[in-house]
Amino acid sequence: MRNLAWTAAAVLMLGACGQESGDENADAAADAAATQEAQAPSEGNGAEDGGETEGSVTPPQNPYPSTYEPYPGEAVLLTGATVLTGTGERIENGSVLIADGKLAAVGAADSIEAPDGATTIDAKGKWITPGIIDIHSHLGDYPSPSNATTSDGNEIVGPNTAYVWAEHSVWPQDAGFTRALAGGITSLQILPGSANLFGGRSAILKNVPSRTVQGMKFPGAPYGLKMACGENPKRVYGERGGPYTRMGNMAGYRAAWIDAQSYKKKWDDYEEAYNEWADNDDDDKGDAPEAPARDLKLETLAGALRGDIRVNMHCYRADEMVQVLDMAEEFGYKVTTFHHAIEAYKIADYLAENEVCAAVWADWWGFKLEAFDTVGENAALVDAQPGGCAVIHSDDEYGIQRLNQEAAKAMADGRRIGFAIEPEHAIEWITANPAKAMGILDQTGTLEAGKMGDVVLWSGNPFSVYAKAEKVYIDGALMYDRSDPSRSPRVDFELGLHDNDYTGGAGQ
Amino acid sequence: MRNIMKKSTMKPLAVLASASAALLSAAAAQTVAIMDGTVHTVSGDIIEEGDVVIRDGRIAQVGADLTPPAGAQVIDASGKVVTPGLFGAYSSIGLVEIGAVEDANDSGPAEGFALGAALNVIDAFNPSSVVIPVNRAGGVTRALSAPAAGDSLFAGKAAVVDLSGRTNSVTRADTAQIAVMGEAGAGRKGGTRMGAWAVLREYLDEARSYAANPNDYVRRPHESRFALSDLKALGPVVEGAQPLIVQVNSANDIRTLIRLKNTYRLKVIIVGGTEAWRVGSELATAGVPVIIDGMANLPVQFEDIDATLKNAARLHQAGVDISFYEGAHNLRLIRQHAGNAVAEGLPHEAGLRALTLAPAEMFGVGDELGSLEAGKLADVVIWDGDPLEVTTKPEAVFINGRRQDLENRQHMLMRRYRDLSRGDLPHAYRGGESD
Repeated sequence: MRNLAWTAAAVLMLGACGQESGDENADAAADAAATQEAQAPSEGNGAEDGGETEGSVTPPQNPYPSTYEPYPGEAVLLTGATVLTGTGERIENGSVLIADGKLAAVGAADSIEAPDGATTIDAKGKWITPGIIDIHSHLGDYPSPSNATTSDGNEIVGPNTAYVWAEHSVWPQDAGFTRALAGGITSLQILPGSANLFGGRSAILKNVPSRTVQGMKFPGAPYGLKMACGENPKRVYGERGGPYTRMGNMAGYRAAWIDAQSYKKKWDDYEEAYNEWADNDDDDKGDAPEAPARDLKLETLAGALRGDIRVNMHCYRADEMVQVLDMAEEFGYKVTTFHHAIEAYKIADYLAENEVCAAVWADWWGFKLEAFDTVGENAALVDAQPGGCAVIHSDDEYGIQRLNQEAAKAMADGRRIGFAIEPEHAIEWITANPAKAMGILDQTGTLEAGKMGDVVLWSGNPFSVYAKAEKVYIDGALMYDRSDPSRSPRVDFELGLHDNDYTGGAGQ
Repeated sequence: MRNIMKKSTMKPLAVLASASAALLSAAAAQTVAIMDGTVHTVSGDIIEEGDVVIRDGRIAQVGADLTPPAGAQVIDASGKVVTPGLFGAYSSIGLVEIGAVEDANDSGPAEGFALGAALNVIDAFNPSSVVIPVNRAGGVTRALSAPAAGDSLFAGKAAVVDLSGRTNSVTRADTAQIAVMGEAGAGRKGGTRMGAWAVLREYLDEARSYAANPNDYVRRPHESRFALSDLKALGPVVEGAQPLIVQVNSANDIRTLIRLKNTYRLKVIIVGGTEAWRVGSELATAGVPVIIDGMANLPVQFEDIDATLKNAARLHQAGVDISFYEGAHNLRLIRQHAGNAVAEGLPHEAGLRALTLAPAEMFGVGDELGSLEAGKLADVVIWDGDPLEVTTKPEAVFINGRRQDLENRQHMLMRRYRDLSRGDLPHAYRGGESD
């Protein structure tokens, strides 16, 4: 239950990111877990035994590969709707044609004809948007039912747990996924919690029920790294060996980046030495150089330094965000998004200059001191900067069900201070902008021909509390239909409860 | 102030009136005529192009084609929506500034603290709370400020307050007692529901025994684990005069609660009630209102298995009075709860009633608040659209007939940082002034 025990609620409101206040004891096992001495089996270059003949040893880039495959969907033409494309355009009396899992055409209703065999759905009076994307979720990591045995989102054993991967905690049977689907969510990023300076790797998922998390993983999506500023790490570790202060937080990040730099160099040097060795035609060139030992923690951090892994930084305060921007420059990496950026409006110019997105709530505030300075216009003020990138995120299993309403509130507050923010623009805060920040904009996030058929048909203007996602297509497959119980998924946990009556399901 | 809700006396109104007197004097001179709005009276019909006249802190007239009294400030509300002020049925408003900052959070006691029922929010309620203006600007004019439970099953006495921020903004002290049962109760007492209900009954029995003859109770041997102050505080509850607000969720716990209510002849209100819709007719028969989270639709705990967004609509259908709860900082979001409930089948007027008259009636102030009727205290909001819509905001808020300042620190911060240019002086010199 939400918000009933107010003190407890305050802790919960730290976000699922805040459940670190549990009583788990810090454990020295952290370091042991972090350093994996095992030599890497190579996959990257196709060799099975360390690559002595085929190439250098390379840590596997994708050892838990996506097995997601789109479900079959028939060609469908949604016609006569108000279409928000996610590219800033609004098409009145528009049509969207989905075929072969892709968006085949988007435009004026009279410009698109249904191909043979396609189903035509009269969408007059309805609205169509790209599938909604939540850049900040803990579904599966903090699932329902929620208790100590399922609380798998925060590895609270040490301030740097960059070695954990959120996907290894994701329980695909979390009923929250189904409820989010009914709210139009087609893709989402699952992040580790924010107790730690380095929380671990994120997973980007398609919101399609699956027996395995691999079956949900967004094919080809880059990994993210979760980091956290401010109150949480120092509160959690202040009495457990530090960091005790914000300067301790910064020192902790910097020390880790220094380690990551030398780890990266070790591997770069090895690669270079190997290539030299491989290019050497001498018969007596000796054995191939030995690959460095792998370290899961540093592997992730080095990936962030290389730009392969996107940095998602939980940071509330303006001054801290700007410190972090300097740190990113110091070590040559890029922060993709500041999450929970309550004070983004105070430094919206810095964010735009550095091309960093700010992922914010519409109106959450006051659950901790660093969340005191919320303004309803935060997203609008970030957005108003030339090149500004505003994202509305949830961090919440209820908020994710209605990101459209959260965006509506933020839009309305912006309009009240004179910004001409229209629905066709504000929809980008929950579609194109998170897709861009997550590195999947080339595949989803807008309604453009050739992209994935991730589409929501709304009963009306999605910037209204009364609008409902009526149909949700993912890769062209109808995964949710509000009017058809057979298209409303229920997780295993919800089966057969309470006298075998119907319980649960997406539409609850 | 105890026993003010005894049905046999006129004290409730008298106390309410005296509590309001101080507030009203300042507003006494104000006469306001709100003209030509869509007026949702809640108690009666919706009046298109309706008028509301406020005088001496109370609603003087509600109708169509009224003539503004001489000297009245006239507000053109054409194209606007006029409703009673919103009433937060269960919150910690005035008790918490910052959730995670101990010295700024008085909502619940520390672990191991012995007392429960004896705690009284009015000892801590802070009308100057920074949380109040933000929610007032969101159209909330009254709220139940309720303590959170510590180790005891009882959290203490809640009060109805207004959100004027004025010194005397307690509308009614000792409005209700709070208890936590279900999973939260079992976690506190006995580790099982059996344990928690047994302890709750013990308290009620002891409180009865104490109330029957306090002097005798004190003199004869009694269990020291029952604090006398707790038993004393439970007096009005066991007399059936003061509602006991009980946190329960599962249908099963709700049935147990109804049995207890009947046995002890208690006045009971449920907060939580995620599965209340499963026992709708039983609740209606027992006359138990339910204050819900309009968004709860996940099996978060095993007591929430049947949580659904249709809870509100189904309870209403069954004839149960409902309202919505929120914490403190975003108590203003109760209308988003109602809006979502309406989207799931609750009639719009029932949604508005759940935010106004229903909680006023639950807490015994329905004859003074909760609807736009002549003679009632003038808590009125003029909205720029449908009050249950997320994009709508209040344009004017009246509490006790007095037009409220809708300024708050969030607006001031926004103005300070709207222009990020360096300027002649730092931002610390800008935008702090009220509009």
